[in-house]
Amino acid sequence: MQSETPLPSAMADLLGLDPSNPLVIFVMAFVASLVVASGLLTLVAVSGIWGKRKITAAFTDRIAVNRHGPMGLLIIPADALRLLSKELIIPEGVDRPAWDLGPLIMVFSALAGFAVIPMGNGIQIADPEVGLAYVFAMASVASLGLVMAGYSSNNKYSFLGGLRAVAQNLAYEIPLILTGMSVVIFAGSLRMSTIVAEQADTLIALGPVAIPQWYAFVNPFAFVLFMVANLAEVGRNPFDIPEAPTEIVAGWQTEYSSVYFVLAYLSEFIHIFLGGAIIATIFLGGPAGPVLPGIVWFLIKIVAVYLFTQWARSAVPRVRIDQLIEIGWKGMLVLSFANLVLTAIIVGVIA
Amino acid sequence: MIGVLKSMATTMKHALDGETFTVEYPDVAPEVSPRFRGVHKFSQERCIWCRQCENVCPNNTIQIVTDDQRNGEQYNLHVGQCIYCRLCEEVCPVDAIILTQNFEFTADTKDDFAYNKEQLKNVPWYKDIDPLASREPDRGVWIGEGEGEVDYQ
Amino acid sequence: MSLEKRTPVVDDVGVTEDGVDYDALADLLGDSIIDREHHVNAEGFVIRPDDVQSVLRTLKDEAGFDHCSCVTAQDYDDRYESIYHLKKYRDPTQEVSVVVPTPKDDPRHQTGSDVYETANWHEREAYDLVGIEYDDHPDQRRILLPETWQGHPLSQDFNQDQPQVVSLREHANPLQDDKQSPDDPDTMFINIGPHHPATHGVLHVKTVLDGEQIVDIDPDIGYLHRCEEQMCQQGTYRHQIMPYPDRWDYISAGILNEWAYARAAEDLADIEVPEYAQVIRTMSAEMCRIASHSLALATFALDVFGDFTAVFQYGIRDREIAQDLLEDLTGQRLMFNYLRLGGVAWDLPEPREEYFEKIRDFLDDLPEKLAEYHDLVTGNEIFQMRCVDTGILTPEKVKDYGATGPVARGSGVDYDLRRDDPYGYYDELDWDVVTEDGCDNFSRVLVRLRELEESARIIEQCVDLLEEWPEDDRTIQANVPRTLKPDPDREIYRAVEGAKGELGIYIRSDGTDKPARFKIRSPCFSNLQSLAEMSEGEYIPDMIASLGSLDIVLGEVDR
Repeated sequence: MQSETPLPSAMADLLGLDPSNPLVIFVMAFVASLVVASGLLTLVAVSGIWGKRKITAAFTDRIAVNRHGPMGLLIIPADALRLLSKELIIPEGVDRPAWDLGPLIMVFSALAGFAVIPMGNGIQIADPEVGLAYVFAMASVASLGLVMAGYSSNNKYSFLGGLRAVAQNLAYEIPLILTGMSVVIFAGSLRMSTIVAEQADTLIALGPVAIPQWYAFVNPFAFVLFMVANLAEVGRNPFDIPEAPTEIVAGWQTEYSSVYFVLAYLSEFIHIFLGGAIIATIFLGGPAGPVLPGIVWFLIKIVAVYLFTQWARSAVPRVRIDQLIEIGWKGMLVLSFANLVLTAIIVGVIA
Repeated sequence: MIGVLKSMATTMKHALDGETFTVEYPDVAPEVSPRFRGVHKFSQERCIWCRQCENVCPNNTIQIVTDDQRNGEQYNLHVGQCIYCRLCEEVCPVDAIILTQNFEFTADTKDDFAYNKEQLKNVPWYKDIDPLASREPDRGVWIGEGEGEVDYQ
Repeated sequence: MSLEKRTPVVDDVGVTEDGVDYDALADLLGDSIIDREHHVNAEGFVIRPDDVQSVLRTLKDEAGFDHCSCVTAQDYDDRYESIYHLKKYRDPTQEVSVVVPTPKDDPRHQTGSDVYETANWHEREAYDLVGIEYDDHPDQRRILLPETWQGHPLSQDFNQDQPQVVSLREHANPLQDDKQSPDDPDTMFINIGPHHPATHGVLHVKTVLDGEQIVDIDPDIGYLHRCEEQMCQQGTYRHQIMPYPDRWDYISAGILNEWAYARAAEDLADIEVPEYAQVIRTMSAEMCRIASHSLALATFALDVFGDFTAVFQYGIRDREIAQDLLEDLTGQRLMFNYLRLGGVAWDLPEPREEYFEKIRDFLDDLPEKLAEYHDLVTGNEIFQMRCVDTGILTPEKVKDYGATGPVARGSGVDYDLRRDDPYGYYDELDWDVVTEDGCDNFSRVLVRLRELEESARIIEQCVDLLEEWPEDDRTIQANVPRTLKPDPDREIYRAVEGAKGELGIYIRSDGTDKPARFKIRSPCFSNLQSLAEMSEGEYIPDMIASLGSLDIVLGEVDR
């Protein structure tokens, strides 16, 4: 199911070009990225502008958008137009290059993370050996954007939000990566395609139904840990502390309007999907699944993770910043170390 | 942890049962009670120009102009300033002013909300509910025989 | 089937079985008293301006008057006057007024805020609106009007035509020395509000932060000041005042507010209310309380959960049902204008059975919904983590700040005017006063949730009574003259249990059909004062949660 060759080479092959020519690969990689990014942005537009409203409305017994087009779907272009045509207000005293770059960094770091994600049907732009390390690194770069935005906005709420973002990401990045490492111990590789391939084996066969060896089934504890840490990583309830609208207005994004707001908003959603993609890849067998093509399964999995974040939003209160730090450093870190050591022992004993 | 899961189960239950309690407003017009107090309707034929409504109004919404014979000339009511307390209706000895259920009114400027007696007369009933049923005044004057149409004769 | 009464307090000085023995109190105060006045339900001791603290101290410490309910200031033709309305938390029917007259040319006297913390804001308001100055007051600033305001609008010599030229002064340096804590200069000043998602209206909280922790806060109110007291002074007792109480606490607590005015005015003019009307009043007031508490819970959840919580919408949903019932009854969803002096405007809507059926359906569904709230909110561990032991307000501080309502009951102060100073039909019904001992945000939420159940009990009994009420005895209004002119110079301070606490009205009549002085004692005003006590040293989120748990409505704070 998983194609061995990354997408650019496959495309070059398809077009009859020489895949060993660096120029060809460069152009093809560019095109492939464009395709993947456009697909992602479409997904974000649908889920961020339309889906989110529908989901929140479902949880709160309301109807939500339904007037523009079928099921209100035309709200997406309408809203995009509305947001982009708003006045861009640049507050006095902002630290210009940093203030402008913040949202860009957030969006592009999250998008860049998708480069190594195997999405099924051969859609994977690159498959380096350090794939997992790369994707974690990219996901963390967003924190830099948050700090830049928070610090440069010349607004105390943004400032508090930026500081909270750093504190939170530090507290959760380490447990997140440690938990991810336990998967690496199972798979024996950081390469994404290998991790996915390792999960294709059968764990137990229940008659005709073969339960695959997805790491979520193999090590559910690590899976739960990772899900929780991921909520903090993407900043969603109960960990939406950097924004915390009822406390610090909108945190680091208080001063952003118009296009910059769109970028900030986009980056949040892409980030959620990147988190979902990592979870799908390392815990849920990547694009694997019966009947439907791989890319569909992959989308189902990341949308499921997205749904989970929205579900948590409807019912889970936000924790306080000091409580969050405590949970991160005193709880999750210890648990993730325990998980890592246990995994290592079990893998060592079995092997 | 169990409490958190219970919370999440509760909201999920609501998401799955598909019930909504909001309505699609202009398409599904809300039910209002028979007693609901909306825009006023004024009947010049009934009015005896006693000015009690003008006096009782807590924020000077009603303005009455009479000539020196105490014959009514103007009856103005600023529906944008009105607080819909229904004291004018309550105090009126002849039921010449009544609050309909109609709460939907718009205007381009504030001035357009100052209704004169013609405009007040033409205020439509809301969804054909006439509020008189709940208030037991002399119905004959407001509702004519037959089709239930508004008749000021 | 009567609510269990508390035994009257008799161990204080000057208290007999029949109530307060004012002569004994006068003996206690001795020479400080220069005259005595008679108010409708309390005796007034007139004292010298430099005796305020000693008199209040004696009354508080030795006679047990631990609740300074309200401070009313007014301007007569020949003098200014401040009145301290004192009560007891243990028995609010024991009241005494301390009247402090000051000369017209130099209206100043000793502050009472050393004795009662709550007098601080009340005196600031008196200074702001009437112009009496208080010696040794810790913080003699304007409170409702802008600091640049010229003149005192409720004093007689206020010139309405004087232009209020408000000059834009230099921005104060937010990090000036007095804003910093002396031990730690690394503090940050931040304005929370007046436009902030969680201040429940236009409240401005000047906050000094040390990191995320609050060093100092100073609520700045008055953005929604609409001269409600003055508007009431310009309205006639009989009709024109009643629409306005709906607009003080506009969060669906209208009938409770109307009742405060109705009770004060009816006692002032000796109007008897028919029993049938009292039952309807009791029922509709409790529906308002349900609507109001539902929204309090909903917005509190919004503050703690975040923007996309489902609790808010569920709270709105339940409030909506109460609102529909009230619409059927009163004809309006928020601004009811339903009570009249001597009764109510309308009998129950016809067909009555159908209406009773609707109410019963609502009450039957309520336990299930409450269970849902408990699942969703109070049972949630993260919610408990956030709310238990945050925003602590000890019972002593409750009394000091004059906090009432669910805020007081959440700190274990067993004080509910519906039982302690009965009015309406409450003393005939079987219900309980809810208290919680936690003193924290969580307790205040629990109190509101449990009060929903009690309100439902009250409504159910009212419905039973109304169903069986004989048809020929359904008088909804007493015979009240169309123009009401109470005897001149009668003074009354009367309170009811509003949605947020003790909502009191002071009226002084001058023989005309309009009150000479109309003062509103807003529970939110007193409760909000305790915010600093609850949140200093805590984190910003806890301050926001405490603010939410106080359940203030700025319309009522600013009036």
